[in-house]
Amino acid sequence: MTVEQVWRTEAPHVLAALTRRYGDFGDCEDAVQEALLAAAAQWPREGMPHDPRAWLITVAQRRLIDQVRSESARRRREERYAADALDGAAPVGVDDSLEVLLLCAHPALTKASQVALILRAVSGLTTAQIAAGFLVPEATMAARITRAKKTLAGAGSRFPAPAADLSARVGAVRHALALLHTEGHVRSSGAKLSDAGFSGEAIRLARSLWRAVPADPENAGLLALLLLTHARGPARTDAHGDLVPLEAQDRSRWRRDLIAEGVAILEAVLPVGPVGEFQLQAAIAAVHDEAASWAATDWPQIAELYRMLDLIAPGEAVTIGRAVAVARTEGPAAGLALLDPLAASRNHRVAATRGHLLAELGRTAQARVALEQAARTTRSIPEQRYLNRLLHEMA
Amino acid sequence: MKYVILIHSNPQPWGHPTGDFVAEQRDLPAETREQLNADFESVLEEMSARGELIGGEALADPASARLFRWHDGERLATDGPYAEGKEHLAGFFLIDVESPERAEEITRNFGAPGETIELRPAMWPGGDAD
Repeated sequence: MTVEQVWRTEAPHVLAALTRRYGDFGDCEDAVQEALLAAAAQWPREGMPHDPRAWLITVAQRRLIDQVRSESARRRREERYAADALDGAAPVGVDDSLEVLLLCAHPALTKASQVALILRAVSGLTTAQIAAGFLVPEATMAARITRAKKTLAGAGSRFPAPAADLSARVGAVRHALALLHTEGHVRSSGAKLSDAGFSGEAIRLARSLWRAVPADPENAGLLALLLLTHARGPARTDAHGDLVPLEAQDRSRWRRDLIAEGVAILEAVLPVGPVGEFQLQAAIAAVHDEAASWAATDWPQIAELYRMLDLIAPGEAVTIGRAVAVARTEGPAAGLALLDPLAASRNHRVAATRGHLLAELGRTAQARVALEQAARTTRSIPEQRYLNRLLHEMA
Repeated sequence: MKYVILIHSNPQPWGHPTGDFVAEQRDLPAETREQLNADFESVLEEMSARGELIGGEALADPASARLFRWHDGERLATDGPYAEGKEHLAGFFLIDVESPERAEEITRNFGAPGETIELRPAMWPGGDAD
């Protein structure tokens, strides 16, 4: 492990230890962040301390006390903190990362705030690093994080989270990590796709969630889904940074190691049940990843998985996926019919899929209209370039 | 998702806040003008606190612009304004919000008599999730 990996791994443990003792998550989080900055300045120069966690706890505690001292209105709390200082070597539980993760996925926060807070409190990233990942200025991200912490305090959040909430909270964590993974690979431009970034961090956190709560089969489902999706990363853009659709990807560039790991995790968990949305999505990703080509894909299997997914977690993306699969098993007209209920949708992916299916049916003029609509409404530059190229080739 | 909020206006003389120099707003009762200003200030404050505001600028008189065009195989610079339109780009805000609905909710508060506010999505360099 590099020194940075060490302090980032320790961050949630240190935060949990402080929060458990002092209660105020917002203040403790600020103090831990300062301790991480101190580690970043000192460790590479002076070497890593013998017990990094104890070092971070001591420094964070000192910062917390300084911080409280500077606010004279809070004098009484200062006395309590000073009298009650934590032993630097205090034992901390193995589930600390999980506890902090659960708190960050509090239902009072928006999904985007949950993700930003997770990156700071659990991943130990600085506000500047998070801001860079989301392509916003540091001040904007700092305001978001401050607001998220205020919201948590105002919502009467408890640390650790009450056991009764556990299963709903773990579900919220899964959705936040899935969003983090997606942000990672849709936000990065082509040249950066090889850089693990947020997507890699999402996988690391999904892995720790799976280890901390192995009894929930959806945690295995999430980890498998992220690995199986991440495996296709190297083939997702071409040398010019242009988007390559799944259909045309060079499958020899897919990461076989990640596919093997994802499939193994999924195969071990599927028989356990109950089968939830992440396991189904992972199963769909696995079918794609194991197919030798687009044409050789087991489409009946994918159509059936989407039908099941539609029952438990319906949504536009599921309908689109199902329409594509059904078009392969029953013909483009059957796929098109599934898209009918989405006629009023403003989602460019609906229009793009409709355009592809209409083109297959030889209804070229209608296909052009749909693809033009998709190209006009997408906000992804590579996606727009791809659709424009397609339209040009059709002409 | 990122958007720009573009303020199209024609203050006479050119000045900021544009509302003080737009005839349709000067003619409003003082209370109404105060209300418009208060709405604007409160939405700005809210955007900052929520971490939605990335930045923004008030722009100088369009006549002070320099225009660069390609002419006979060379770059040619001339003086502004860019267009002799009824309205000019007077200022902009760059925001990053959770949803199109939120972007519209914010932008609605910028509207005032005699001005057009344009909410325009920004493109992004990444691809779609597959």
